[in-house]
Amino acid sequence: MIHTAIFLLSLSGFILLLLAMARHQQDWLGLKLSPVISRALRLSGFAALALSFAVAGVDFGWGYGSVAWFGWLTMAAALVVALNVNRERILRKGRP
Amino acid sequence: MASLHTWAGLVPGWLLFVIFLFGTVSFFNDEISRWMRPELQSGSVSAQALDRAAHLLRERAPDADSWNIALPSARSGSALTISWIPAGASWRERRELTLDGISGREIGIRKTAGGNFLYRMHFDLHYMPVMWARYLVSIAALSMLVAILSGVVTHKKIFTDFFLLRFGKGQRSWLDAHNVTAILALPFHLMITYTGLATLLFTLMPWAISANFADSAAYYESVYQPAPQPSTAEAAPRNPPLSEMVARAEQVTGMTAGTISIDKPGVAGGTMAIWPLGDRLGASKDAVYIDMSNGELIDAHHHVGGAVATHWTMVDLHAGRFSFPVLRWLYFLSGVGGTVMVASGLVLWTVKRRAKLPDPTRSHIGFRLVERLNIGVIAGSCTGIAVYFLANRLLPVEMASRADWEINSLFIAWGGVFVWTPGRPAKRAWTEALAACAVLYALVPVVNALTTARGLIPSLIAQDWVFVGFDGVMLAMAVACAFTAWKVASHKAKAAPRRKVRAAVEATL
Repeated sequence: MIHTAIFLLSLSGFILLLLAMARHQQDWLGLKLSPVISRALRLSGFAALALSFAVAGVDFGWGYGSVAWFGWLTMAAALVVALNVNRERILRKGRP
Repeated sequence: MASLHTWAGLVPGWLLFVIFLFGTVSFFNDEISRWMRPELQSGSVSAQALDRAAHLLRERAPDADSWNIALPSARSGSALTISWIPAGASWRERRELTLDGISGREIGIRKTAGGNFLYRMHFDLHYMPVMWARYLVSIAALSMLVAILSGVVTHKKIFTDFFLLRFGKGQRSWLDAHNVTAILALPFHLMITYTGLATLLFTLMPWAISANFADSAAYYESVYQPAPQPSTAEAAPRNPPLSEMVARAEQVTGMTAGTISIDKPGVAGGTMAIWPLGDRLGASKDAVYIDMSNGELIDAHHHVGGAVATHWTMVDLHAGRFSFPVLRWLYFLSGVGGTVMVASGLVLWTVKRRAKLPDPTRSHIGFRLVERLNIGVIAGSCTGIAVYFLANRLLPVEMASRADWEINSLFIAWGGVFVWTPGRPAKRAWTEALAACAVLYALVPVVNALTTARGLIPSLIAQDWVFVGFDGVMLAMAVACAFTAWKVASHKAKAAPRRKVRAAVEATL
């Protein structure tokens, strides 16, 4: 249960970080967001990652928690990369 | 910096691949051992079995020099093993019995090197003196640290390209794969390399001991608590049952008992040492001593210093024995990332240089060497592990030095790849070796189902997740090899742009 929470928080963190990057905004949204919004996305992305670390540390203890957090961080980032690789397929399905 | 990264990665690269591959596999050391001893039932050791072990030792070896009882962990694949050294004999002449962890009855199980061989191969290699192997592994690990740090500088776009993995673009794709596997698990790579060096601390820096202690034995005596003197009190020995004493030690100290050793068991008032299993992050690796006459813990007020505690924690972090199943999988998957990172780095070296070859059919000796070593080591070691598992099921149970032949089978198969592939064109060699690898991995669950009663379907019904998971990983490995083989086979080398060819030709003139 805690594992799921850590993973989902890291995942949302990385998705926010992805959307904060101009190149990926163009790819996913088809437009470039303003610098203010991009910065807000980047900050909230890092905040989500920090929150997931806090959840891991508080629930598992900081030693075990930090090891688990790094592991989930890797998995979440890997999933975002996988989503990005299959972007066209996903976007095509999303369109009516 | 770029050339530092290239050469610090390439020269020890094949050894690094082997270290990463076998290390990654070893996160499941106990599970593999359990699979390789299908006669054993799972479950932790019962109090009844423990007392029966003590009873057996009293019966068979009342006047032995020492008794030893190795307890498997709840997830372990080893049996409850008791051994003793007969009076006046050496350690090599010890006798050993294997017991069922639940009933405590003597059982016969196949001789196997188990997951432990794969673990030892990770840092001791094989067919060579252990010290040589450790020096080689130390050098490789040092180069790895250099390669990781210089890699972060060299591939400076890893942060802007963080989420990028572009397929079907030749060299660009290999670079992406190398970068992505490196950056996604970068904390793991740094941690595992650094703590790996920490486990080899006294191989790399023996001087810390030689400058301060007479010899390494003196050092270990000062770090580990010395065995307390047995009490000489005249009180009538109560000799509590073994299970009671172990349970008490576990309850008081919070440890999980791993190995129990009793010196001079025949003498009244002896002490018993219980060594922890090491399944807690940063916990003491020191023994707990128990006065055998009354079953009380002997508190020696022994405390280790910060340096030793740090070292122990680093070793724990590296081996990951403390991790619950979920975290173990994370360790494993990060390790797979590291293995792919090393492999893609090695392949990238050839891909990058093949594009610059004036005539792809005629390459220089260095290029051919790297290309052939890549095939032989990457495909060969994977093939070897599959054959190792097959040998465990197929070698006759009564075979002499059976465990050794399991290991030999691994290296025969690996050597076979080395003998077979140099005669083939590179692309065919990759395809054939990977296809063979895929077939062998796919055979493991089949042979398992045919030779034991613990195939995939019975294991699913019994909800034996270790066996189910093992078959699953074998099939995943088969699919991964088959997919890669298919990718290599269907790959069409794009002709290098004319401009590049001309530049390369001019450069060679």
